[in-house]
Amino acid sequence: MLLCTVFLISVVHSETRFNIGHSATTEQIAGWDIDIRPDGFGLPEGSGSVESGEMLYEEKCASCHGVFGEGEDRWPVIAGGIGTLMEEKPEKTVGSYWPYVSTLWDYIHRAMPFLEPQSLTDNEVYALTAYVLYLNDQVDEDFVLTKYNLPTITLPNEKGFFIDPRPEALNSRCMTNCLTTKQMSSWSAADLGVTPLEHLSNLVPATAQDDLELRETNTLAIETYKKACVICHDTGVAGAPIFGDKEDWRQRAEKGLEVLYQNALNGYLGEKGYMPAKGGNSGLTDESVKAAVDHMLRGGLAD
Amino acid sequence: MESAGDSSRRKFFKSAGVAAGSALLTANQIWAAEHGENLPPNIPSWMRQVGTGVGAAPYGFPSEYEKDAVRRTVPWLTATPISSVSFSPLQSLQGIITPSSLHFERHHSGIPNIDPAEHRLMIHGLCSNPLVLTMDDLVRFPSVSEIRFIECPANGGMEWRGPQMEALQFTHGMISCSEWTGVRLSTLLAEVGVDLKAKWVLAEGADGAAMARSIPLDKALDDVIVAYAQNGERIRPEQGYPLRLVNPGWEGNTSIKWLRRLELGEKPWHLREETSKYTDLMPDGRARQFTWVQETNSVVTSVCPENSLKSRGYHELEGVAWSGRGKIKRVDVSFDGGFSWKEAKLKGLVLDKALTRFSVDWSWDGSPALIQSRAIDDTGYVQPTLSQLREVRGVNSIYHKNSIHTWQVLATGEVKNVQNT
Repeated sequence: MLLCTVFLISVVHSETRFNIGHSATTEQIAGWDIDIRPDGFGLPEGSGSVESGEMLYEEKCASCHGVFGEGEDRWPVIAGGIGTLMEEKPEKTVGSYWPYVSTLWDYIHRAMPFLEPQSLTDNEVYALTAYVLYLNDQVDEDFVLTKYNLPTITLPNEKGFFIDPRPEALNSRCMTNCLTTKQMSSWSAADLGVTPLEHLSNLVPATAQDDLELRETNTLAIETYKKACVICHDTGVAGAPIFGDKEDWRQRAEKGLEVLYQNALNGYLGEKGYMPAKGGNSGLTDESVKAAVDHMLRGGLAD
Repeated sequence: MESAGDSSRRKFFKSAGVAAGSALLTANQIWAAEHGENLPPNIPSWMRQVGTGVGAAPYGFPSEYEKDAVRRTVPWLTATPISSVSFSPLQSLQGIITPSSLHFERHHSGIPNIDPAEHRLMIHGLCSNPLVLTMDDLVRFPSVSEIRFIECPANGGMEWRGPQMEALQFTHGMISCSEWTGVRLSTLLAEVGVDLKAKWVLAEGADGAAMARSIPLDKALDDVIVAYAQNGERIRPEQGYPLRLVNPGWEGNTSIKWLRRLELGEKPWHLREETSKYTDLMPDGRARQFTWVQETNSVVTSVCPENSLKSRGYHELEGVAWSGRGKIKRVDVSFDGGFSWKEAKLKGLVLDKALTRFSVDWSWDGSPALIQSRAIDDTGYVQPTLSQLREVRGVNSIYHKNSIHTWQVLATGEVKNVQNT
């Protein structure tokens, strides 16, 4: 009987409900429900003064946003800029642009300070919100912000927003004789030189790029070669393979690059001859010895 | 005079990193490369030995010769990489799917490291049955898999005042396209029993920004996915692991990553990312709000500053087009800066709110050209020119610059980013 009832309930609910998951408890919701609306919905009890906000701001905010909200480096400017929205470089701040105070409380609470989000108490958020309003000349220095007066404060640009009217700027599908005049930009992006281009070797003529890289790596190799290798490898002393002797270097190359490196670094005594460790120049770095090996191998293999 | 052998040897050394002292190559391989021993009629060295066995890379990675196809950043754009953007290498990609590793990134407070066993999705507010769901719970619901693009509304935003970025990756790389798998948001909302008064859904992430947006209920009940998989595997951390919203066709930041909470309410919340940011300032000093749709856009990718022309003659000119309102219906291409146009071919899958690839046959005779593409979607909307956008919007609206793009081809084959409208 019990089994039968359970079965019936699950069938009835299966059309719209899968009965998966657990009901969210009031306590769980209270802990996670952090959003605040312009009408004050969601604001917790609490308060904070401009005065207490100033100390907190200087401790936790000023290093990025600047002492007066002017913004350090590329961090956001949060004060000033009123009346600049139609200018060539508008400054969009809490005072000049933001429509609602609730957004400020919500954002400080959910995401600030940048490296310690959700670390502030509710009263600290009220205090910081009050202080940022003060930096924007929206409240006096003795102002105290609360859950009750926050929704009553209006910001200068509240009416400055309107709903997306797109699509606008409509084009038509012309196929021939579509332009009466050409309006070519007077510069190309290349002229500005602000693009990170390190990876774009094809923007430099290929041969120049190759030469540059070879020159850089070869500088170390050639210096090392001249210092430690040339005496034997230029002449064949002690059975050394001569720079440029293709057949001799090909045979050595068959041992593998790592073997050649080890022989050059640690020394080698074979049937054909004797190679002192690092060419007898123990002060050389491993890197420079390997570069010299690469250099000789390339030279030895050249047509 | 440099011989062809010199050139190929240099290229070989450069690409293989031998000059830096790499021990990965055997001297045999160096020898072979120098002598063209890997080229016909010779048998290449890799055929005269065995390769690496199975299981050497349990999770694979691209060939070592493909190091150029990576995400890149523009360091001066933002104050810190923790709140910044990286760009997809569109110049290196084919087809319409972006490899998960190359999906563009936009984080507001970095990538959280979330243990899926401890991740929860809470759905509450104006509903009869508020729920807490585990990842295991979410996977039990019937799922959908759909190919959709995600694009940052600031894509192209550096170019309002003139050409600035000398690379396709930076002019258009804030778009990527994946197959997303998850539960329809409408399925989950039916499960909680939406109150008739509810008109909006707040979506919130579990990152350090608790990134959140207000989404109208109509959209939430339409095509939104609560996704846990991307291109067949669980979503990557930088794309929202273990759970994200995919809000097809709308500005990317509404596809909340690391999704932890959905709240039903009767009004929008006017949070920071829909007031201070992601609003579009017009010349009269007023700003557009809730500019959700990513309008029709397109760009030529096979010829761009990164892909200069190496030879005259035949080229299959390719690019990608997309629309947040629906399917791409047509793409036209111009070689004379918009004076005359030719219809391109749509290649492969043509899907709703997905990247769509187009191509046109082109024989380059070595003369300079101004290449453009113009997409039209199935609502009849025609991608506008930049001057049409500027006339209405000025140059300070940052977002939603979807205008026709121009690549200037020089007689040398080099390609420049210019504007011609």
